[in-house]
Order: sequence, then structure tokens, then C-alpha cells
Amino acid sequence: MKFLSAERIADFFAALATSFELRLPVMLPDGTRSIGTLEDGPIALQGGALDSKPTAVFFPQQEVVFTARDGEVPDTPLPARPLLVVGLTRCDLDCLRFIDRFFAGGWRDDLYFRQRENAVIVAVSGYCGAGGSLLPLAAGNCDLELVWDGSCWLVVPYSESGGSIADSIADSTGSGALQRIRTESLFHIDEGDAIIRRASELLRANRVPDSFWEEIGDRCIACTGCNLVCPTCTCFGVQDWRYRNVVERSRMWDSCQLAGFMREASGHNPMGSEALRSRRRIHHKLAADPERWGEISCYLCGRCDAVCPTGIGIVAVSQELVARFE
Amino acid sequence: MHDVLNSAAMGKLSAGRPLYVPFECIIVSVSDLTPNEKLFRLQVPEGKALGHLPGQFVQVSLLGWGEAPISIASSPTRSDYFELGVRRAGSLTGALHQRVAGDTIGIRGPYGRSFELDRLRGRDLLLISGGCGLAPMRSLIQYCEDRRAEFGRVTILYGAKSIEDTLFKQDLNAWETSAHFACSRTVDRAQAGGCYGGNVGQITSLIPPLTIDCAQTVAVIVGPPVMYRFVIAELKKKGLTSVQIVVSLERQMRCGVGKCGHCSIEHLSCCQDGPVFWLHEIEHLRGAL
Repeated sequence: MKFLSAERIADFFAALATSFELRLPVMLPDGTRSIGTLEDGPIALQGGALDSKPTAVFFPQQEVVFTARDGEVPDTPLPARPLLVVGLTRCDLDCLRFIDRFFAGGWRDDLYFRQRENAVIVAVSGYCGAGGSLLPLAAGNCDLELVWDGSCWLVVPYSESGGSIADSIADSTGSGALQRIRTESLFHIDEGDAIIRRASELLRANRVPDSFWEEIGDRCIACTGCNLVCPTCTCFGVQDWRYRNVVERSRMWDSCQLAGFMREASGHNPMGSEALRSRRRIHHKLAADPERWGEISCYLCGRCDAVCPTGIGIVAVSQELVARFE
Repeated sequence: MHDVLNSAAMGKLSAGRPLYVPFECIIVSVSDLTPNEKLFRLQVPEGKALGHLPGQFVQVSLLGWGEAPISIASSPTRSDYFELGVRRAGSLTGALHQRVAGDTIGIRGPYGRSFELDRLRGRDLLLISGGCGLAPMRSLIQYCEDRRAEFGRVTILYGAKSIEDTLFKQDLNAWETSAHFACSRTVDRAQAGGCYGGNVGQITSLIPPLTIDCAQTVAVIVGPPVMYRFVIAELKKKGLTSVQIVVSLERQMRCGVGKCGHCSIEHLSCCQDGPVFWLHEIEHLRGAL
């Protein structure tokens, strides 16, 4: 098995940056860990899941749909080099797999797949969570996995492109540490999992009264933070920007927690209350997506619960819901 | 998983094109429907047909103004052109109202699930529309007119707020006198002492006098959101069930292709799985009606 020492990691990524558009966890000057380029700050693989959603690499907060010059829309050239995205955790990979399905279903979203199609995904796991805690092994769903065993990064390939990258590494070691982490990962149970599954059952059985959503809605301040950090939130708006002889059509993330999200030109608003909007946020992940896609679309990344200033992230709401209506 | 996923008819013109880039269509003519609504007749370049079915919509695009979903108001049987009835309701539709014959506009689509013609053929049709809902309904009415032998008795009911707000007046006059259709219309209010001598009242008032062959009839409803519950209640009094009622729902469709999330009805995307639904598919869903 190939491995990388902590000292070699910077050279390793610098070499990859000659073939790929590299996006990896870095420490920004303001002290936050975020997905960026090697120029944005020092590499910061350790520290656990990133605060911001890594799926934003493929579905960014704002992106140009097309640029029209003098009324003509020229073909947009394909990216010159494929993306190589580093730093996704096991649940981030589940989120990415889900939005891959979403953007491929029905009408295939070519804007999303322009970046996603040939991208190489590198997961991180092992004892590189917050304070050295275990990030469970991904064991697939990616091209390559970097597993921190406490002293070095074990390199585990899962695809041809991942294998090529691993082959470029000279140093080898035994697989004992990986086996230990694999075993520990099997016992890594997220208590939130049972809670959201039970909440999903209650919602799908229509056992949650409107009065509950009125209470949750009263506590929502419509900051939209939950949507902005959620790796499986895919809603967007479209906006034209006018310059002299250029029109840029962009799409940008939108939030179902905003009053005007579904308001129609006639004034009719199918989600005209905080209660309905709060219900939509939870119901969509735990009841609507299982109906449409066959799976709950919350993978317990914990970001909405961490960011919500009033304590109504999806796990917190699910806990309350299960406690009251089971 | 639900059974209408990916069932949307995907327009031939959009297949293989960049998903979000519109193609240009030429405005052939513009006419006033009401003081606030215009009818745009459009042609696809190179004599191509739009390839739509009754009940579908297009995303109308003006560079610098954005996009909006607009129902197609003409039948594919009249394939030299397609028509859009557009109410001036915001900046995009305001800019569109300034366009004249010879100008071009951007189009994406056609999108969405159409009226299921195979399940309507051979049946008596009760076509009920209110306000702007007559635009998509007109596509189906024209289709019935052009393929008259394929359908049983066709009854058209239409309600508008006022005489001034009545859309497609010439068409309504023609349908009222046509041997192909039974057609009744009403307005919510009319000026006392005016020259209007027709029905005054809600569209629901046109349903009780009808004689309906319940086993044979399919009702289709297109109108403002407030209309559906009351019309459905009247139809159920007549003996129609949820498997005999079709609705076309209005939602804010930003992308038209099931991605942007603005037109979700629980697990359904109104733009992709609808806007046309059989009532039994959506009546149990929160916020659908």
C-alpha cells in the first residue's frame, strides 16, 4: 500500500496541480478551513468536515449560465483540465452521489456536468477529524482515499484514475493500520441516523400536525443558513446581468426558507407562511426525496445543525418531532 | 419511487442543445387580447415545428430580462406557428409587450407533461377554464377542433373576472356558434345597464345545469389556484371521480426542467411531472390545490 508522509503532501499536490484543476482544503487568511487552491492558503487536510459544502465546487453559489455578446450566445468551451477535488468525508461523498443523481435525472443538467463529468474525487478519513477523532473510512464512492493513520496518509485507490495517482507515489507500507481503521469505522455509529429515519417514517405516515410546523416556523429567522451549507440543497434562481453589449445569465443558490421562493406572478404563494416553509425544508429531505429518489437526502453532515442560530437544524427538529409524536 | 418520474415529454428541438441556452424564434404577429394581455404568434427558424403537445409550456427568454414560463396557446395541428398569450405582470412580460412583429425572442422547450390525448380520445370532454387558463386550454380546444372525429361531445366552459378581462373573445364567439362544441361563458361581474347579456356569476354556476354522461366524461380544469377546489366539488356532485378529472397547475417555474426547486409539490416537480396531472395523482399532496 502506498503512503505519503505529512512532509511530502505539499509536493504531491503540487505535482497533481500540473495535470488537474486542484481544489483542496486550505486554511484561508481569516482562519477558516475551506475548499480552495494551493494559492489560497496552506493545505489543511486535518480538522474534519469543512464548514462549507464541498459540493459547491460543482454547483457553486453563483455561476454563469451563458454570456451573450451583441445578442449572440457563443458556445462555451469545455474546461481545459479536469478538476481534482480533495477533502470530502464519507457523508460528503453520499451527498455528492445524491446530487449527481439529481442533476442527471430527467433533463440532464449540462452546466453541472461540465465540471463534474471528468472530475477526480479524493476523500479523507482516519484520525484527521476534529481533535484527531476518527473520520470513518469511505471505502468507495470516490476515486482515491487518503487515510490518516496518525503518522502518515495511507493512499487507497478505487478507480483507474485513482490508481494512476497512487502509482505515482514511491513509498509503500503494510496495510495493518488501514485494517484497524476499517474495523473502527464499522463501529462508528451516528446517533442521528436512527432519529432521522424515525422522523422520516412519522412524516411519511402523516403523523406530524401543522401546529408543530407553526412552532418551528416561529423559531425560524429565515437567515437561510441551513440551505446555504446543505450539500444536497440544489434550489437556484436565475438572474440576468446587463452590461454595455453583454448580458450574463447566471444562476445562484436560492432558499426555500424565503417568503418569495414560490410566489407566482399572480401573487399566489403555495408556501406563504413560515410554518409551510419550515415543513418544506425538513419534509423535502425526509419524505419527498425518499418518495422520488428512494433515499433520505440528509446524510448527517451536521452543517445545518451547526449553523442554525435558533437550533432548528434537521437533526434537532427530527429529535423534537420523534420525542413528541412517536 | 413514484411512477411519473421522467415521464415528461422532451421536446425534439431542445434535445441535444445546451439545456439553458434558448433558441431564437421570430414574432410573426402581435395582437391585443385584453388591455393587459397580448397574443404573440411565433415561428421557429427554418420552418421547423416546435414539436409541442397541448398543455405544454415554453420558457420565454429576453436577454437582460430573464425567463418566464408561458403556456402554449395553439395546437400542434397548426404547425406553421405557435402562439403564446402573455399577461403583463412584471419586467420581463412588460418588455415582451414592447416587442413587435419581426422581432425575435428566446425560447426553451417545449417542456412539461401534456394533456394525455390517448386517454382523452373517444371520451366526452368537459373543458373548464378561468382567466389566463384559457390559453393552455385553447391548445387542446383547437386540437379537438382539428381532430374532431377523435373525441365525443366537447363542452367548453369559461369564466373571466369581467367582459374586459375575457381572453380570446373571437375564439369564444366562434366556439359558441360552432357545431363542434357546446360553449358557455360567464363573467364574475358586469356593469349594470351595460350591453352584455350573458351569464354573470362564478364559473361554478355553469356546471349544475349540465347533463353529463359520467361513464364517458373526462373533465379538464385550467385556471387560477382559487378555482380548483370549487370546480372539483361541483364536478364530484355530478358524479365524476378523481380519475376522470385532469388539472393543469400554475407554479413559478424558473428553469422548466425540474432542477431549480421553485415549483415543487412535495416529491413532484410541477414543470417536469406536470403541469398537467390527473386529480388522483395530486389531490392528497400538501399544497397541490
